[in-house]
Formats: sequence, C-alpha cells, structure tokens
Amino acid sequence: MSRWVLFGCLLFLALPAAVAATPESASGFTGKYCTGCHNGTAKSGGLDLTALSFEPASPANFAEWVKVHDRLRAGEMPPKAIRKRPDPVEQEAFLKSLNSSLVAAERKTTAVEGRVTERRLNAYEYENALRDLLHAPWLQLKGQFPEDGEASRFNKLSAALDVSHVHVARYMSAADYAIRQVMSVRNIQPPTSTTRFYAREQDTLVNKINTRNQQGDRATYPILGWQPQPDVFARKAPMTVGAGNPEVRNQEAIAWVSSNYVTGFTYRWDKFKAPVAGRYRIRFSGYTLWVAPMSGAKKHLADWEHISRGRNDEPVNVYTRNGVLNRHVGSFDLTPDPGVHDIGEVWLVGGETVVPDASRLYRSRPNNYRNPLMQADGAPAVAFQWMEVEGPLYDADTTAGYKLLFGDLSLQSNLEVTAPADPSELARTEERLMRAFLQHAYRRPRAASGKTEADVKRFVALVDERRRAGLSFTEAMIAGYTAVLASPGFVYLNEKPGRLDDYALATRLSLFLWNSVPDERLLARAARGELGHPAVLRAETERMLADPKSRRFVDAFLDYWIDLRKMEDSTPSSSLYNDYYLDDALNEAALAESQLYFADMLKRDLPARDVVDSNSTFLNERLAVHYGVPGVKGVAMRRVDLPAESPRGGFMTQASVLKVTANGTTTSPVLRGKWIMERILGFEIPPPPAVPAVEPDIRGAVTIRQQLDKHRADPSCATCHSRIDPAGFALESFDVMGGWRDRYRGVDESVPAEKGLGKNGQPFAFHYALPVDSAGVLPDGRQFSGIRKLKQLLLADERPIAANLVRQLTVYATGAPVRFSDRAEVDRMLLAANADHYGLRGIVQQVVQSDLFRSK
Amino acid sequence: MEKMNAPHIAGRHAIDRRRFLRGAGVALALPFLDSMAPAFARPADKPRRMLGICNNLGLLGDQFFPSGKGRDYVPSAYLKLLQDHRDDFSVFSGVSHPNVDGGHPADICFLTAAPHPGSGSFRNTISLDQHIAEQIGTLTRFPSLTLSVNTRTRSLSWTGTGVAIPPEDKAASVFKEMFLQGSAAQIDAQIRKLDTGKSILDTISDQAKDLQSSVGPRDRDRLDQYFTSVRDLEHRLQASKGWERKPKPVVNVPMPVDPANPALYMDRVKVMYDLARLALETDSTRAVTLMLDGVSAPVLEIPGATMTDSYHNLSHHGKSESKRAQLKIIDEWHMKLLAGLLTGLKSVREGDDTLLDRTMVLYGSNFGDANAHTCMNMPVILAGGGFRHGQNLAFDVFTNYPLPNLYVSMLQRMGIETDRFASSTGTMRGLEMV
Repeated sequence: MSRWVLFGCLLFLALPAAVAATPESASGFTGKYCTGCHNGTAKSGGLDLTALSFEPASPANFAEWVKVHDRLRAGEMPPKAIRKRPDPVEQEAFLKSLNSSLVAAERKTTAVEGRVTERRLNAYEYENALRDLLHAPWLQLKGQFPEDGEASRFNKLSAALDVSHVHVARYMSAADYAIRQVMSVRNIQPPTSTTRFYAREQDTLVNKINTRNQQGDRATYPILGWQPQPDVFARKAPMTVGAGNPEVRNQEAIAWVSSNYVTGFTYRWDKFKAPVAGRYRIRFSGYTLWVAPMSGAKKHLADWEHISRGRNDEPVNVYTRNGVLNRHVGSFDLTPDPGVHDIGEVWLVGGETVVPDASRLYRSRPNNYRNPLMQADGAPAVAFQWMEVEGPLYDADTTAGYKLLFGDLSLQSNLEVTAPADPSELARTEERLMRAFLQHAYRRPRAASGKTEADVKRFVALVDERRRAGLSFTEAMIAGYTAVLASPGFVYLNEKPGRLDDYALATRLSLFLWNSVPDERLLARAARGELGHPAVLRAETERMLADPKSRRFVDAFLDYWIDLRKMEDSTPSSSLYNDYYLDDALNEAALAESQLYFADMLKRDLPARDVVDSNSTFLNERLAVHYGVPGVKGVAMRRVDLPAESPRGGFMTQASVLKVTANGTTTSPVLRGKWIMERILGFEIPPPPAVPAVEPDIRGAVTIRQQLDKHRADPSCATCHSRIDPAGFALESFDVMGGWRDRYRGVDESVPAEKGLGKNGQPFAFHYALPVDSAGVLPDGRQFSGIRKLKQLLLADERPIAANLVRQLTVYATGAPVRFSDRAEVDRMLLAANADHYGLRGIVQQVVQSDLFRSK
Repeated sequence: MEKMNAPHIAGRHAIDRRRFLRGAGVALALPFLDSMAPAFARPADKPRRMLGICNNLGLLGDQFFPSGKGRDYVPSAYLKLLQDHRDDFSVFSGVSHPNVDGGHPADICFLTAAPHPGSGSFRNTISLDQHIAEQIGTLTRFPSLTLSVNTRTRSLSWTGTGVAIPPEDKAASVFKEMFLQGSAAQIDAQIRKLDTGKSILDTISDQAKDLQSSVGPRDRDRLDQYFTSVRDLEHRLQASKGWERKPKPVVNVPMPVDPANPALYMDRVKVMYDLARLALETDSTRAVTLMLDGVSAPVLEIPGATMTDSYHNLSHHGKSESKRAQLKIIDEWHMKLLAGLLTGLKSVREGDDTLLDRTMVLYGSNFGDANAHTCMNMPVILAGGGFRHGQNLAFDVFTNYPLPNLYVSMLQRMGIETDRFASSTGTMRGLEMV
C-alpha cells in the first residue's frame, strides 16, 4: 500500500473523532508534491500543508481542504512551472479519497440537522403569504420591514434572515393592518359603477391653466378638438359646458407638453380615489397634438393659439399614487386620433388614484428649462378628455378573506363583528373560528404531534384573556389572529431533518415558485400523500409555473441573481449622460426586458445558452431606439428578432445588467468582468487584497483600460485579473445605461463639445474622449475582438452556463448553498438536463425532483 | 420610529397602531428639564448623550484634512468653516474601520464597524447608539432615535442581531411623537394597545419555546433569536407603558416642516439637525443617529449655486474640475450646517454645562474617497461631549488607525463600562476626557 492511499485511509478513519492528521500522515501525496512550497517556512499562498490538520467539523478547516481538492482537481496546482508533475494515478486516488472523506464528514452533520438551517419568511414572502391567505392581492406590506440580508447571493437563506424586536413589532403591525384592511373591504362595498372623471373637473389639471405660478411648459391648456379655447383660458367662459351638453363635454380636453415631474405626480386625476381596496378597470380618452412655437425670445415655448393634429403616437405609462409609493400599472399609445385606451384591470389600495405619464415628453427641472423636443415648427403635446373607472369589481374572492376570519358572522358599520350573545356559544364560536384560521395559516395540520390542539388552546386563551381585559369580541379575535401571523409557526418554515414530508415539500415548492404559501390544491395533494410522487410533483410544478403567481419567482430570482433590485441605485450623470437622466420609461423597459426574457426562457424551456446569447429579445420602441433596432413602434413590450449584427441578446448585453454594473458616470471592466464570471459562468472571485483602487478619471487623457493595464503589469495582480477582466473588456463597448459606444465620454475641454438639451430641459455638453478597446484574451488564450466574438467563445461550452443556473436555482429553491457533498447531485441534475438540451424549465424540474430539494 | 412605507387607510385604529409600534420599535421618555424630578434613578454623573451623523457621500479629502498635527494644526478649507468651535472638536486623520470596504454599502457600518459590507455573506453587528440604548435606554422616553435624510432604508442603527432599525425621515412625525400630548382617552387606548401587545408576545414566546425543544442545535439558535427578540420587545413595551402617563416635554417651537422636494437636501439636513437638538435638549433620548443619504438625491437645489449633476454623480467626479467645484459647494454647506448645529447645542445650558459639553457629536463618512469608492482615511470629527478637543489626531494614511477605538472612548464617556467595540484595539489614542 503506497503512502498516499494510507493517508486517504487515515483521513477516513480519523473522521469520527476529527483527529488532527499529523504531518507524518500527510507526508504522502502532499509531501511529495505540495509541501515543497506549502510548508512552515515558505507558506506559499498562506498555506502550510505540513501543519494543516483534518478537522472537518471546523468550517474553516473544511473549506481549506476543499480548496486543496479543487485546486488540484482543476490542475491549477502544482503550478505549471514546477517540473515534478504528480503521477496521474496517484493524484486521482488521492483526490478520490479526500473527496470521500469530505463528503462523509459533511453528510454526517447533514443527517442530524439537514443542509438547511431553520429560517423565517423573507419580507416579500411574508407579504405574499398574507396576500394569498387573506385573499387580498392589493396588500403592500414589504416596505414596512427592514431590508432582508443576503447570503450566497439570495435573501432565502437562514444566514440572511435574522430577527430582532423590530421584526416582531412589524409582524404584529403588518398583520393587524392587513386584517383590518380585509374587514374594511367587506364593510365598504360600494356598488360597481362606471364613472367618467372629466379632465376639466380635476383641480390639479385646471389649476395649471393660466394661473400665476403655472407658466410655460408645466402649465396646461383648455382645447376642444384641435381648437384652442382662449375664452376658457382667460376664464371668460366656463371651464366646462357641463352635464347638459354631453357631446361637447366629452370632447373638452386639457393639454400639455411635459411629462410628470416624477412619475405619479404632476398631471393627476384628483377627483378619483379608490373608495376601497380592490380591482378596477381604467380607461383614458385623449389624443396627441402638435403645438407651434411662439416667436422671438419665446420661441422655445408652445403657442397654444396654434395647434394641429399630432404627428405621432406618444407612449403613456400609468402609475398609482398614494403619497408613498407609485406603482406602474399599465401603458398605452396615445394616438393622433382621439380614442379610448383601456389599460385593463388594476389592483388599487383604498385611497389610491391613477396618474398617466406621457413619458417621452420632458421632465423639466429648474431653472430656465427648455423643451428638448421643441423643433423649429413646434413640439409634441398630449391632450386628455377624461379618465373612466369601472369598479370596484367583485367576485367570490372579494369577501373570502373576511370569511376566513369571521365566517358568516355579520359585520356592523363600525367594524365590529356581531358576536353571539350567549357566553358558551361565544366560546364555541371563538374556538371554531380560530381552528379554521389556524388550519389555513399554518401550512400543515400539526395533529400528528398533538400540536394542533395545543395551538388552538393557546390562541383561544389569548382571545379570552383579551376579552376579559375589556376588549370587544372583534378586537380580541384580531389580537388572536395577529398573534398567529406573528408566531414562529407561521413565520418560520419548521422543516425537519431528513426527507421532507408532503406538507414541508408543498411549502418549499410554493416558496420557490410563488414566493408564498401553498394554495388549497397543493395542501390537498399533500394531505392525500400524493405530492411525493415524482409525476405528481412534476405536474404540480407545471401547474404552478403556468399560474400568474409564478411571476413572483421570475422577479424575485432576477432581483438577486442579476441584481435587478439595484436598477435605481445609480442615476445617469446629468452632465455626461443627460440623454438618459430622468428617462423612467427607458429604465422600466430595460427592467421588463430582463424579466420577460427570463419568463420566456422558462415558458418555452429555452436552453441555458440563451443566458449568453439569443437572436431575439423583448423590446418596446424606447428600448429598441436605445439598442438601434429598427422597426419597433409603440410602448408595448414584445418579442423582437434582432438584426444579425446586433450585439444584443442574452443577459450580459441587456441595458438593465449594464446599468446595475455601472455607477452612472463610469464603467469598470473589473466590476463587470467579476459580475459575469460570478453570475453567468458561476466562478466566485475572492475579494481583492488591500491595494489602492484604480481611481476613475473622466478628464479624457487616459482610459480605464490603460489604467488597468498598469495594474496588471504587476504579476501578483495579473493572476486574478487575467480571469476577471476579459469579459469586462468586451463590455466596455457599452456605456452606463447599456448604450453602444465607440468612444468614451469625458470632460476634456480641448475637444469640441457635443451639446444638447437633456430630458430635464437643461443644456448639457460632454466631450468625446479616447476610443473604446473591447478586445481581450480569455485565460485559456482564446482571443476576442469584442462582445459578439466573446459570446461565441463562451458558447463553445454550454456546460458551465447550465451548471451555474442549476447551482443558483438550487441555492434559491432550497435556501442553502451548494455544499461539497451536494456536488454529485448537482452533477446528476446537470447530466439529466443535458439530455434535455439544458432547457430552463427542465432545469427547474430537475431541481424540484432532486434530493437536495426534497430533503431538509 | 415607526413609519408606513406601504399605503394604509387612516381608519380609527391607525393612530393607535402607529403609536403602539413607535413604543415598540423605537424608544420612549421623560424630559430631563431642570424643573422636573428624574423619573428613574439616574447615574450620579451628569447625563451624557451622543449624536452620530454619517454623510454617505464623503467630503473632498484634500479640502477636509488639515495640515499639521496636534493642537497647532492648520485648518483646511472646510475646517475653517468650523473655526468658531475650534476648541470644541477634534478632527481625525488616517483613521478607518478595519476591513470595512466595499464603497457605498459601507455607510451602514459607520457606527457598527462590521467587516466587508459589500460581500455576499455580510452580516451587520450592533451599532454604537444601540449599544448605548441597551444600557441606558430606559432612562428616556425614547431609548434611541434613528433619523435619516433622503432615505427610508439606509440606517445607521443596527440591533445586536444585525437588523436595521428603519429610519424616520419625517421630522414632523417625530416631533409629534415626542411633544404632542395625547388626550386621556387616547392614552388609555394606547395603554390598552400596549397590554394587548404584551399578551400577544406572551402567547407567541410560549410557542417559540415549544418549537425550540424539538430541533437540532443550529435550528434552535435561530429560534432562540426569535425568542430573544420577542422578549426584547416585551421589555420595550413595558418601558413605553411606564412613560405613557407621564407628560411629554413642552417645547416652544413650531412643528417642523419637512421640505417635500428631495432636491432641497440641505434644507432637510437643517430640519433634522434642529430636531436632533430638540430631542437631546428635552432629554427625550440620549442616542440619536442621522444618515444623510446623498446616493439617490436628485440634482440639488442650492441657493446661489448651479448644479449640473446629481449629488451622487458629482461625488464620482472623475477628477473633473467643474464637478469638484460643485461638490465643494455642497461639502461647504455640510460644514456650515454642522457649525450651526454646534452653535445650537452650545446655546443651551444644562446645569453648569452647555448641551454640547454633554453631547458627543460624531460627524463623518464611510467614504475616504467617493470618487475611488474607498473607505480608507475616513473624514471624522468628534465635537463636544466632555473631551479635551482642539486638535488634529493624525495617524498613518497608509496604515490607518482603528476608528472603533474612538467608539470605545465614547462608550466610556457615556459611563458604560467596556473596553471593546467591534474591531477596537483600545481607546482612542490622544483623546482625553475633561
């Protein structure tokens, strides 16, 4: 028996006691090939293998041995320069033995505790859980919680989900708020009606007509068709003909040339506020215009005495407004022909209103702003006649939340539920209601352990105690329900080590695909013990992916996997990139592109290679213009085939990704390169040592690439940077918003300025600086001239791209990192997915069926 | 303080709920006015307080750091703006939080010094103010106050479990909470609400204990964190209840008006400084933090100045002279407002001291250089609080001195017995108590 085998055996035998491997026992393979450098004197790379014991119970020690395994396996060690190469047979045997020692050690703890550590719901899951449980899809709760942490990239792991007194307080307030909202929906049930809110009756719009503090481009104007109404403007004629003349009234419009100061703000319909949370259908009637310029010194302003038919459609994005949060809820193209534009049904919170934003028009900023869209013969404008609201729209779900809380008991207008007068009947009612609520709220019957009765007792006791303390039946019940929704039985997952039972599996599945708790059907399948059957699990996965709630998976996964939640973290510099500044429509389209692209991959089971490249993507007119793709008209996002020479297609060259990897002023090949290595190819890049960072310089004399080349001249920097930077170099062709560029922009005044007016109406000037060099060399020596060639090179091997998807989804779905002992299962999934062209939907199914997903 | 990011209907319960939470999530207490008897037994020493301010876009280093060391330092362009207070503050050069890197994300570590905020596995640790609040928080109506300008998420205050205390960005609502006295009926309702909260907490901590008994050690640790949090909240409710029937301090100033426009960033800073002074003056709390978030601010509107870029983008000046010039205007405003804050604190007498003598005002930034996104050489000032000031405590700009040492000194000045905070190695070298 040669010494390395002995070493392996020793490791294995030593495991249970976690005895330190002596330098003598390690002197087999490592002594032969490694300790020449990794010894107590040289400590190359900070590693002394002669002193490294084997104590797998220590995470640091375990990680160290994994590193030894991986560097050796990858052929990175011993370094190429070392002449004495390990004997392949010897090496394989050593690796195999080390591998099994490590796996065995990890499995041992897994058997006791599982891979996954107990965690609470994250804020988004909690919000969705309450929405779904209480049949209240309009609830907005996430913002009430402190931001969740991040571990292994996601907000789904125990380590990211700490709890403090702040959380407990917020669970209680959020639950209390949600319950009362649900009661008020049951209480206030105005009949469904269709109401027209005429522009001429909205104070916010009318007050901008010819008043002292509303002049110029932020003001509004009364028009009728394509005729100005100077008498109305001068307040010599009434603002509206009123209800007596419906034909004219329907044509009376108010017009303007700006978009909102911020979305959901300036041009709003203040007479409408949703009377109660619920579903509403919204329509707008309006048209686009062309307004002539004034003359002389005022030629930048619109002359409302001279208006004509619009020359083009204008995109209109619609937002909700409630003073705190503006949500984008729809969009349409306003046409030169007056017409009615239905944005469909939207969920509104009580008190919310709806605001259209003609997003191509400018968002003026003080002072002395000028309309950037004003041409020699005029400027575009929009006119609206009315907004129509149909609602609230009712269905069985409207009062389902109340039913869950109070069954058939009637609700009085003071929000007190009519309770039985008889004390024993009252007690029975309390218990009945609480039992039913717990059955829905807790995602499993806890009968097996006798816990259900204990819980019913516990919460009913609370209700009783509160009633005795003087609270009404209703208030006492609310306290009881609030306690349930703040309790660990609701907030934590409560998974047990080993194979998950059907209920735990149902919860894991629904948190994965819906970011919420299981629905009735899933729980029913769990109750019948069917969910564990692979075919049923597969079918349920298909059903859940087909449900609109799977949109939450797409959004939440992308928010973390590719950082889409950071879309607003930087704003384009208004001096260098004023063409992007305040362009909300561009931001929103960029975000939507990534989300639609991933959803489409999922829906059509597109291959993993589409992460890197594709010949189609999702665009609307604004984004297509940004990408230089011709022929896309209108605000609606749709799938578009890309021209053959387009650098777009795949996540790397989406505007969203290019934005979140830049800072609004400059780009860095290091940051973008690292991002691609980690997010797309799945290599973790260790943090850099403490060396001075390269300082961005926009004066124009030096490019970031030239600065980096200096940095890379240092061999100790070059080792990592030769891996990190190349992909970043290719992306230097894209600016901070993902627009194509051949030259950098800078502030070097010796070059003639490029001047223009920004979307904020302010003049700006930037100077073209040095040309972009997007060529590079991959670590394996393959060269590329730019992004298109780089994509081709990356696609030569689809496996790492698919492997990365499998790993990221496994972390997200199971709530634990992919550990050493999980690798075999990941490899198995990958093999199976390969048989299925690495399709994304197939990969999701592989993850769901895997041992990792089905065990704690 | 409690705030609702999400829409909510202002129903008849809204106020109760908000008040309840405020008691829960924040801290509450009795005015320490000379005329009033102390409500709780206080330490024999005079009250000590802290106000921690982080300007998360930094200050231009070459304009901020003075030349020369010790008491004979020559003030920089920025420090000249604080020269009225020269003897009341110390400036620190060559200091930073060890291993706190990562650029923007480091602002939340300004008062915690938790390492590597930019990394995927980052977890924050307790902040200086919360450490103080845990020790002396029950002495005041609010154990602590977490304020912000232009953010509702970036917080300087972090609990021991690494959870952010959401900051309050509306001065008016804090003012109401601190100074507007509720009616007897409202107070009764509030107390009932607190009692209900207590009953709920009893019930759920019961269940948490049950669950803990049947799981493995790692899971138990996590459930224990929940259990502890429930307990913690119970204590806070109890403390709030104690304050509920005590009259709130009467102040002679109008309710603050929060500038609605985020471009009026500097006005918002001023409003928050005034509020912080008022909170300390009335002894409503003894630990205040204020995050000045410039990251998502629009192009600032500053009287007499023309800004071409948003504040954040100016901070990535790329060495452009025009951007640096605009940034300098903003930085100078920061300095002027800080000077105003110090003047305000000095103008209030408390016993034989001024309020500034008893209030440690820590001002600084996570960024040493926002353009390079580096966190070495943080600009830091400590004013007031009972130290011998008037000096530049200068350390090595290449191998920085650990800033957490200053926090140990501050904790000791608060009367809290400790010799450690985060990665500290001792107390601040060269800084002596009066």
